[in-house]
Amino acid sequence: MSPKRSDMRMPYPRRILGQLLLWISLCLSGQAIADAASLDQAIRRLGQGGFDGTEKAIGELLASGDPRVVPILEALAAGSLQVRKADGAIFIARQEGGEARLIDPLTGEVAGAASPGTMERVRMNNRLRRVIEAARGALTLRSPDPAIRRQAADALFRRADPDARVALEAALAAEKDPAIARRMREALAVLTLAGAAEEAARLEAVAVLARRGDRESLAILAPLAARGEGELSRAAEAARQAIEHELRLWEIGQNVWYGVSLGSVLLLAAIGLAITFGVMGVINMAHGEMVMIGAYTTFVVQEVIRAHMPGLSDYSLAAALPLAFAVSGLLGIAVERGIIRYLYGRPLETLLATWGLSLVLQQAIRSAFGPTNKEVANPSWMSGAFEVGHLAITWNRLWIVLFALSLFALLMTLLRRSAFGLQMRAVTQNRAMAGSMGIRTPMVDALTFGLGSGIAGIAGVALSQIDNVSPNLGQGYIIDSFMVVVFGGVGNLWGTLVGALTLGIVNKMVEPHAGAVLGKIMVLVFIILFIQKRPRGLFALKGRAFET
Amino acid sequence: MSLTGALLYLNDVTVTFDGFRALNGLSLVIEPGEMRAIIGPNGAGKTTMMDVITGKTRADRGEVLFEGARDLTRLDEAEIAELGIGRKFQRPTVFDHHSVFDNLLLALKGPRSVWPTLLAPLRGAERQRIREIMEIVRLRGLAAEIAGNLSHGQKQWLEIGMLLAQDPKLMLVDEPVAGMTDAETAATAELLREINRTRSVIVVEHDMAFVRELDVKVSVLHEGSVLAEGSLEHVSADPRVIEVYLGR
Amino acid sequence: MIARFFLAGFDRRVALALIAVLAIGTVVPLLNLMLPASHVLHVPDYMVALIGKYLTFALLALSVDLVWGYCGILSLGHGAFFALGGYAMGMHLMREIGPRGVYGHPVLPDFMVFLNWKELPWYWHGFDQFWFAALMVVLAPGLLAFALGWFAFRSRVTGVYLSIITQAMTFALMLAFFRNDMGFGGNNGLTDFKDLLGFNLQAATTRAGLLAASSLALALGLLLASAIVGSRLGKVLVALRDAEGRARFLGYPVERYKLFVFTISAAMAGVAGALYVPQVGIINPGEFSPANSIEAVIWVALGGRGTLVGPLIGAGLVNYLKTYLTAAMPDAWLFALGGLFILVTLALPRGVLGLFDRDARRPRTAAVDPIPKAAE
Repeated sequence: MSPKRSDMRMPYPRRILGQLLLWISLCLSGQAIADAASLDQAIRRLGQGGFDGTEKAIGELLASGDPRVVPILEALAAGSLQVRKADGAIFIARQEGGEARLIDPLTGEVAGAASPGTMERVRMNNRLRRVIEAARGALTLRSPDPAIRRQAADALFRRADPDARVALEAALAAEKDPAIARRMREALAVLTLAGAAEEAARLEAVAVLARRGDRESLAILAPLAARGEGELSRAAEAARQAIEHELRLWEIGQNVWYGVSLGSVLLLAAIGLAITFGVMGVINMAHGEMVMIGAYTTFVVQEVIRAHMPGLSDYSLAAALPLAFAVSGLLGIAVERGIIRYLYGRPLETLLATWGLSLVLQQAIRSAFGPTNKEVANPSWMSGAFEVGHLAITWNRLWIVLFALSLFALLMTLLRRSAFGLQMRAVTQNRAMAGSMGIRTPMVDALTFGLGSGIAGIAGVALSQIDNVSPNLGQGYIIDSFMVVVFGGVGNLWGTLVGALTLGIVNKMVEPHAGAVLGKIMVLVFIILFIQKRPRGLFALKGRAFET
Repeated sequence: MSLTGALLYLNDVTVTFDGFRALNGLSLVIEPGEMRAIIGPNGAGKTTMMDVITGKTRADRGEVLFEGARDLTRLDEAEIAELGIGRKFQRPTVFDHHSVFDNLLLALKGPRSVWPTLLAPLRGAERQRIREIMEIVRLRGLAAEIAGNLSHGQKQWLEIGMLLAQDPKLMLVDEPVAGMTDAETAATAELLREINRTRSVIVVEHDMAFVRELDVKVSVLHEGSVLAEGSLEHVSADPRVIEVYLGR
Repeated sequence: MIARFFLAGFDRRVALALIAVLAIGTVVPLLNLMLPASHVLHVPDYMVALIGKYLTFALLALSVDLVWGYCGILSLGHGAFFALGGYAMGMHLMREIGPRGVYGHPVLPDFMVFLNWKELPWYWHGFDQFWFAALMVVLAPGLLAFALGWFAFRSRVTGVYLSIITQAMTFALMLAFFRNDMGFGGNNGLTDFKDLLGFNLQAATTRAGLLAASSLALALGLLLASAIVGSRLGKVLVALRDAEGRARFLGYPVERYKLFVFTISAAMAGVAGALYVPQVGIINPGEFSPANSIEAVIWVALGGRGTLVGPLIGAGLVNYLKTYLTAAMPDAWLFALGGLFILVTLALPRGVLGLFDRDARRPRTAAVDPIPKAAE
C-alpha cells in the first residue's frame, strides 16, 4: 500500500499546503482570528467552482486559523457537507428519517430541515481528502484539547510530511505538556531523518528515536542502519539493536500477560471443579455445562434489563453474578441429590453419569435458546484497551484476571474461615467421624457440590464476556479444567491457582513458536507426561493415608 | 553379628511423609524360622514398616536386606513377592469376584508373567495343592463359592490360605484377628503357629491376649523406631513401654 | 493346545453370540444379493451398510469391554484407536485411487495436490500395499496404546486419572489431525475412495463382502476375547481389577498385564476402525472426538460390562436407537443418549444382560457395587 501512495504524490497541492500551513502557524501564533463575514464567504465558496474551487476555499478557511474550521473540514471529509441548491448556502446535513436536518457549520445550531432533492453534496476526491487530512493535522497541533494535540503529533510521526515541519516546530515551541512535547520532538526527528539535514542533527534525531524505542522507530531506523556506512548508520544500528532487545523483553512481557489472562480463564473454569473433584473426589463431567448455564443466565439477565431498564445495562453483569451462582448452584444441589449421591465411591460411574447429564443439559439449552451463539455485550467499563509501556492491555481481560483472583481469594477465605468450610473439610477427611460428631454429612455434600457448581456459574458470567455463548461453551473448558486441577494437585486450591497460571503462561509462551493448535497439543502432551511422573500433581499431599 | 544368616535385616530405615517421620531409624532383624510379634500404639509405624518391606513405600534412608543379599529398597511389590515375602492386609483382601478355588489358584506358586499365564493349563498337582490348603484354612467344600460371599472370618482365612499357596519364606500378617470371635482368634493363633513351622512370620497385632497366646519374641515400636524387644513379659515390664503403650 | 486355549472361556452364551454374528454375516449379504428388491425378505443396500457399521461398532465395544469390564481401566480414548485403524485403512484407499483423482496426479492424493505438496510424506509410503496397510491397522493403535500404557501403568496412574489421560490423548490427536500440515487431509479427512483390493466400493457385492468381513472380524474378536478372559491371565485381569494391591503382593507384575490387555484391545479397536472406513466412505478428525470414545463406553455399560456378549448387544441397541432417533426426532437423540448414561449407571449397573443373569457366580454385593473402587 505505502509505496503506491508515494507514487501518487502530487506536487501542486503539496506546495499550496506548505504555504497554507505557514500562514496558519503565523496566524495562530498570536494573530487575531479572521472576522466571521470572510469566514462565511469562504465556507460558501466550498460549494463553488468544482474541485479546484473547493480546494481554494479550504485554503482560505485554513488561513483563517479559526478552530471552528476543524468540524467543517471533518464534515467535508465525511461527505456530510451539503449545498442548498436554491441559494448555494452550505450546511452540515444530518439524516433523520426521510429528511435531512440542516446545521449551521459555524454556529453548530440547527438551521432547519430539507426535503430530499433540494440539497447537493459538496463533491470530494482523493486529492482533496489528503489536503484536508494534512491541514487538520496542522490545525489540531494547536488544539486546546491535549488528547487531540497528542493524536496530531502521533499522526505526523507516522506520515512524516516534510511540509508540516514549520507548523510542528511552532507547536513544539508553544507546547507546555512535556509528554506531548516529547511526541512532537519524535515526529520532528522523523522529519529530520527524512529530509536532508546535517549529520549532527540527524544523529540527534536517531537518539530521539532510540529513546522512543517502539516498533515504528525501528521501522524508520532499520533502513538507515542497513546502509552500513558512516557514523549515522552505526548509531542507527546500535539504536536498532537496543530497541530490538528491549522490544523482545516487552514481547515476553506481553506473552506473560496473555498467559496470565488465559490462566485466569482456566482458573475460573477449574476453580469450581477443584471443589467438586479436588475436595469431594466427585468427577463432574457436566462442570462445563454449569459454566455454560452461568453464561446463559448472564444473557437472559442482559435481555431482561435491556427490555425493562435500559439505563442499567452497564450493571447487568452485577445482577447476573448472584443469579448465575444461584441457578448453577441450585442445579448442582439437585444433581447431587438426584444422581451423584448414589454414586459416591464409584468415580468411574460418576464420570459416566455426569457425562450423560452434560449431554442432556447441552441439548436442553439448545432446544430452549437455539444452537447459535448468543450476543452478550461488554459493559462500557469493560471495553477498550490501554497501554503500559509497550504492553497492550484490554480492559475486559484485566477485569477477568482481577475477578478470577478475587473469586479465588473469596473461596479460600470461605473454606478456611467459615463454619461451613470447616464442616466441609471435616467431611472430606473423615466422613464417619464427622457424621458421628453431628455434622449432617448429606447436607454438607449437597452444599459443597452446590458451591462448586455455583462458582462454575459465576465463571460463566465472566466467560460470557470473552467467549461465544453457545450450548457448546462448556465442552471447550472441561478437558482444560481437569488438566489444571490434576496438574495442580487434587485437593489443593493453591495448586489449582498455580496450575492454571502455569499452564496459561506456558501455553502462550509456546504459541508464538508453534502456533495455537500445536501449542495446545504440546501442553496436553506435557501434562500427560507430567501426570505420569507425578500422578498426584504439582502440590500433592504425600502420605500413607493418601495412598490407601 | 551374623548378618548373612538373618532372613530380614532392617537397618536405620527412615520414611518421611510431608515432614512427619513415620519411621525414624528403625532397625530390626528376623531370623529364619522365627515368628515375631510387633506391637505399638497407633502411628508407631507398624504398617509403614510393612509397606517398606513389601515395596509399597520407598525408604528415604537405610537398608532393607532379604536373605542377606537382596536389597528390597530397589524392588517393586511384585518382585519382592516373587522373592518369597507374602503379606496379609489388615482388612481381608481377596478377589471378591473369583471363587475360593480361583483365589487360591492365582496365589499358588507358579508363573507370574504375562505369556505363561495366558497359556498355562490347570494341572492336577495344582488342584491337589489347592485342596490341601482349603483343608488347612478350614474352607473345605467351598471351592466354588464366590469369595465375596464369604463371612469376614472366612475371608481372613482365605487370605491366609492364599499366602500359604504363595509359599513364601517370610509372611507379614497385619492384625489377623481384628473383628474375629474368641474361638476364631484361638484357631488363628493355632494356624499361625502351624505356618511358622515351615516359614518365618511377622505379626502386627493390637490384641494382647492374642500376642500372649502366640508366645513369641515381641518388638515394641514407638514413633518409628524399636523401643523395646524381648519376650512379652520382658517388654511389659519395661517402664518406657508402660509409659507409651501399656500403662494407661 | 490351541483349540484348548480358544475354548477355555467358551460358554453357551458366547457360542450363541458367535453363531448369531456369523449368521448375520452370511444371511444378510445373501438376502441382499440373491433376492429381488421387491421380495419381502430383501435387505436393502442402505441396511447392509448400516448393519456392517453396527458390526464394527460391536467390535469396538468388545475392545472397550476387554479393558474396562475385565481389567477396570476405563479408557475414554478407544475412539482414537478406532480412528487410527480407520486412517490406516483410509490411507490405503487413498493410494488405491492412484491417478484417478480429480487432479490426476499419479501418486499424490487430491488434498496434497491441492495444498501444493510436491511429494508424498515419508509416513505415506508403503500404504499402496494392502498387507502393509493391514499391518498398520493393528500396529499404529497398538503401538500408541503400548507407549501410553507403558508410561501410565508404570507410574501407577489409575482410575479417573487414567480416564482423563486417555481423553486428553484423543483430544490432542483430534487437534493434530485437524491440522493440514499433518498430511492426513485436515478438516475434510480422507474420502472419495474408489476401490479396495480391486473391488469397487460402490458395488453391492463389495458392500455385502465388507459386511461379511466385519462379521468375521467380530467373531474372531469374540473368540480371542473369550480365550483371553477364560485363561489364567483373564483371571489375573479380574483379580487386579478387584484388588490391585493384592495381585501385586501375590507377585503379579500388574502393569505388564494391563499393558498387554490395553495393547491387544487397542489393536482390536483399530481393526474395527479399518472395517468401518470403507463402509462409510470417509474418515475425518471428528472420529477422534472425545464424545465418540465415551459413547462407546455407554454401549458396553448398557449391554453389560464384564460380559463378552453384553457389549455386542449394547452397541447394537444404542446405535439402532441413534439411527432411529436422529432421523425421527433429532432433538431427542442427545436427551436419550444422556438419559441412557444416567439410567444405566444408576439403575442398571450390570447392564441389560444383568437383568437376565441368573448366574450365581457373583458376589451378593454385586447389585450395590459391581466394580469396586478404581481409585485406590
